Amino acid sequence: MKHKLLLVTAILFNGLLAFAQEVNFEEYDLNNGLHVILHQDNTAPIISISVLYHVGSKDEDPERTGFAHFFEHLLFEGTENIEKGKWDQIVSSNGGSGNATTDEDRTYYYEVFPSNNLQLGLWLESERMLHPVINQKGVDTQNEVVKEEKRLRVDNSPYGKFIENIKKNLFKNHPYKETVIGKMDHLDAATLEEFIAFQKKFYVPNNAVLVIAGDFKKENARKLISDYFSTIPKGQEISRNFPKEEPILEQINAKTYDPNIQIPATMIAYRTPGLKNRDSQVLDMISTYLSDGPSSKLYKKIVDEQKQALQVGAFPATQEDYGMYIVFALPVGETSLEMLNTEMEEEIEKLRTNLISENDYQKLQNKFENQFVNSNSSVEGIANSLAEYYMLYGDTSLINKEIEVYRSITKEEIKEVANKYLNPNQRLVLEYLPEQNTAN
Amino acid sequence: MKTTYILLFTLFCFFALQAQVDRSIMPTPGAAPEINLGEPETFNLNNGLKVLVVENHKLPRVSIQLSIDNPPILEGDKAGVASLTGSLLGKGSKNIAKDEFNEEIDFLGARLSYSSQGAYAQSLSKYFPRMMELMADAAIYPNFTQEEFDKEKDKILAGLKAEEKVVSAISGRVQRALAYGKNHPYGEFATEKTVNNVTLADVEEFYRDYFVPSNAYLIVIGDVTLDEVKTLTDTFFTSWTKAVPPSFSYSEPKNVPNTQINLVDMPNAVQSEITVQNIVTLKMKDDDFIAALLANQILGGGSDSRLNLNLREDKGFTYGAYTSLGNDKYAPSRFTASAEVRNMVTDSSIVEILKELELINAQPVTEKELKTTKALYAGSFIMALENPQTIARYALNVEKEDLPKDFYKSFLEKLENVSKADVELAAKKYFNVNNARVVVVGKGSEILSSLENIDFHGKKLPVLSYSKTADRIETPDYKASAPEGITVKTVIEKYIKSIGGKAKLEAAKSYAMTAAAEMQGMKLELEMKKTTNNQFMQDVKMMGNSMSKQVLNGDSGYMVAQGQRKDFSEEEVMKIKEESALFPELNYATLEGISLEGMEMVGDKNAYKLKVNDNKLAFYDIETGLKLQEVNITEMQGQQMTSTSNFENYQEVDGILFPFKLIQTVGPQNFEFIVSEIKINDGVSAIDFE
Repeated sequence: MKHKLLLVTAILFNGLLAFAQEVNFEEYDLNNGLHVILHQDNTAPIISISVLYHVGSKDEDPERTGFAHFFEHLLFEGTENIEKGKWDQIVSSNGGSGNATTDEDRTYYYEVFPSNNLQLGLWLESERMLHPVINQKGVDTQNEVVKEEKRLRVDNSPYGKFIENIKKNLFKNHPYKETVIGKMDHLDAATLEEFIAFQKKFYVPNNAVLVIAGDFKKENARKLISDYFSTIPKGQEISRNFPKEEPILEQINAKTYDPNIQIPATMIAYRTPGLKNRDSQVLDMISTYLSDGPSSKLYKKIVDEQKQALQVGAFPATQEDYGMYIVFALPVGETSLEMLNTEMEEEIEKLRTNLISENDYQKLQNKFENQFVNSNSSVEGIANSLAEYYMLYGDTSLINKEIEVYRSITKEEIKEVANKYLNPNQRLVLEYLPEQNTAN
Repeated sequence: MKTTYILLFTLFCFFALQAQVDRSIMPTPGAAPEINLGEPETFNLNNGLKVLVVENHKLPRVSIQLSIDNPPILEGDKAGVASLTGSLLGKGSKNIAKDEFNEEIDFLGARLSYSSQGAYAQSLSKYFPRMMELMADAAIYPNFTQEEFDKEKDKILAGLKAEEKVVSAISGRVQRALAYGKNHPYGEFATEKTVNNVTLADVEEFYRDYFVPSNAYLIVIGDVTLDEVKTLTDTFFTSWTKAVPPSFSYSEPKNVPNTQINLVDMPNAVQSEITVQNIVTLKMKDDDFIAALLANQILGGGSDSRLNLNLREDKGFTYGAYTSLGNDKYAPSRFTASAEVRNMVTDSSIVEILKELELINAQPVTEKELKTTKALYAGSFIMALENPQTIARYALNVEKEDLPKDFYKSFLEKLENVSKADVELAAKKYFNVNNARVVVVGKGSEILSSLENIDFHGKKLPVLSYSKTADRIETPDYKASAPEGITVKTVIEKYIKSIGGKAKLEAAKSYAMTAAAEMQGMKLELEMKKTTNNQFMQDVKMMGNSMSKQVLNGDSGYMVAQGQRKDFSEEEVMKIKEESALFPELNYATLEGISLEGMEMVGDKNAYKLKVNDNKLAFYDIETGLKLQEVNITEMQGQQMTSTSNFENYQEVDGILFPFKLIQTVGPQNFEFIVSEIKINDGVSAIDFE
């Protein structure tokens, strides 16, 4: 369970702490609106081919949640030229590997190959964009698979329902109130026509970015990209106008039960600004300050010294329109959840009233620099960062510049941001309790 | 004008070329990429430490790895000393206190860890000199204290205790002990006894003997220069005293003369862990090494391999079935084929695994299998090159395994040249189906009889039983029929007599019990009250809050879970009534359908097994007559759940014996309730059942 939570944290961190060293890249558009980013690095004979579509769970019809994630599965079902079930086999028998991920804002598909398979990778991704096969059989198959996935990841997974409960309490209007996996009855009710319409609307070149990273020759890559992608027809313009949230002025209290856990948890969550806002980066720093590593404030105090919690953690969930900042703790022995809330608030209050020490500030800078350096150690990681910086942040060059943002954050600013977003009247307090199966 | 023409011309070409792309044809790979395998710089210190440096300036970071390549070490009656030494290293040094040491590493945003035969650090390159200093300091001047020793020893002991019920842990140690013998470094294992034999002085001695530079490699990778590394190693590692570790020779492990099953009984197992193993002698420098890798991959190296396709995809016996083929320059290693399977299909799974082993021995692999597997190996070999650690690992292997200098440079070529015949020969040599041990760790009472009936080459496979510590034992007689004269009636009478006698039991009109269990630091409290008037109350509290409560009062009752109240249905009332009897056995004499099912082991005790009804079994000690265990099967959301209650530590209350320790097992969960109080004809009032 500990492991699971860490995993969740890691996943949420993933999209966020993507910095770069000196990553060279160039970018251009095809006539159909497809944005292309090339990052050439010939040091190892490996190449990553990826497409990020600007579609996530927030783009769904509120009565048809789970579509974006469903498409993550559906678009492996085959294309007009790739037989059903052959996709993975083609990838692995050519020495490659690949996968896809979906979140609230975007869906990302990628393959990594030895560099002599650039053309194959482009063919695969262009097939997926041009003419994926979407039929009832595929929908039915993936419906079962997605349900298994939900059972594994959410229903049978300890603490698997926490994000769903935080979202539905922090968001009342914006589609962030729904989960990425969505509601199963929505998927059951969806017709084939609805799936096809969703594909036609969002999985189009003008809503996507193609990133090629690794060992290739630019001339050749440009030509092949044009060969495979330029004939894909452009889709309709997509306009987005999501409802806004009212500010939270009074503490929200909520409770939920989970049959998969023995140990309750307390979770405190705040609604924070979208990822383009500089405050979002300040909150990353606050999160690291509070809970990253054995000498971080919350860990040292509540777990190490006072032995009140088995585990504490804090993580910012960074999203396009609004973010979430979540702090949680699992009690030891008879420590009450309230006591943990008090202890955690005490540390957050210190952030609001005092400046952090110079030593702690230096440590934070060291940690961010270390993360920044390590985040760009694989071409696949770089490709993912490039795609997100372009599509979500609107500035590809952040891959090299974001560390400057962190370096420029001051102790005063940390205090200011804590005061702006992390007040007790702005928070959700979620009691996450074990659901006892009735004894027999 | 001219430029326009050129432009037009290029455009034309462009379209012309574009038209040539035929989407219906899958592109074929281009020429294999050239592999650029860097070579590390190397130098030695006078004390024997060999230093490898891989300069890689792509990112401003460094990793430092210290790896001591000692021959296998026999720890004997002090098994555990190596792992204790590893966990005591890095707790500061003679020069820097532990807290200060940890705080500094955290401050630098770096990592540093130790094992009994090495250390690993990772940091930004600007902190590289300090990290070298810290690593050397704690490695050369370790701070072994009694306090830390006691703490780490307790951790190891707690770990060993937890392992006792873990099927995979027991399976792992029994496999090795049987393959190598317990007097071989690869076959021995730590026990509570051997760990308790270890003293702080032993750790110091182990450190002095084996944490020495003569077989040690220091591998520095990243944004550094050779000169800088030379200067720093000179400064910080020269004081590491030159010494050669003691070396011994050990007996050669041997395969068994005939394939046999080695069974370890773990009554708590819900799955059987099957491992078919044989000893192999394979070194990386052997000519057939790559062919052997391919043979293993085809048979069971991945999810697309034969074994998994058969046992998982086709039969649905398991979540995964895989093989592994070891290689070792010091001693023979093992080939294993393993799977965790449902109890019911243990025998069928063994049959299928052996069948796959025979098949790959008897027939060459297909052209397609060979081609796909080569592509997979080539792909992962090439893609691994992105990581600078790979270059260091390869260079280290060339040194340690005594490989030809161009072993990795020509790896892809050698891979490509492996033929079907080579793979076939390797399979025959390394996958030994006729001299294999089939180690099965599982629930003996459920699987033994089917294991005894496995046909292999027209004969039954012999089944030999072993203890959890890999000692040969007699195969327990799980399903012995009860001796003449023993009936349901005699078992029940003996039980009733043993706990106090019919008169005493019938005089008891009410019963109140409180108990508590500890669950990962959480306290779970249980309160239960019963009367002979069909009154029953059970309340489970966690941290003082009621989690679930059931109340029965005569013919009606209810249940409260998470604050929600639900009345019992008629059927539920009937069921709870049965449960609510103070001593259900008093009624067994009049109940129809109870049968004596023979004898079975409960833990280490022999017991009579009564089938009370389709959903309930009860076990009574043949010696003392006491009830040892109940097994209840319940249906929940369409799934069958088995819950097992064990009764221990019987103590007397008002002339009646009650178990004061109740161990309840549901699935993987295990609650150990310790009874704090039992009252008879006292402590119960009408209010309790409202």
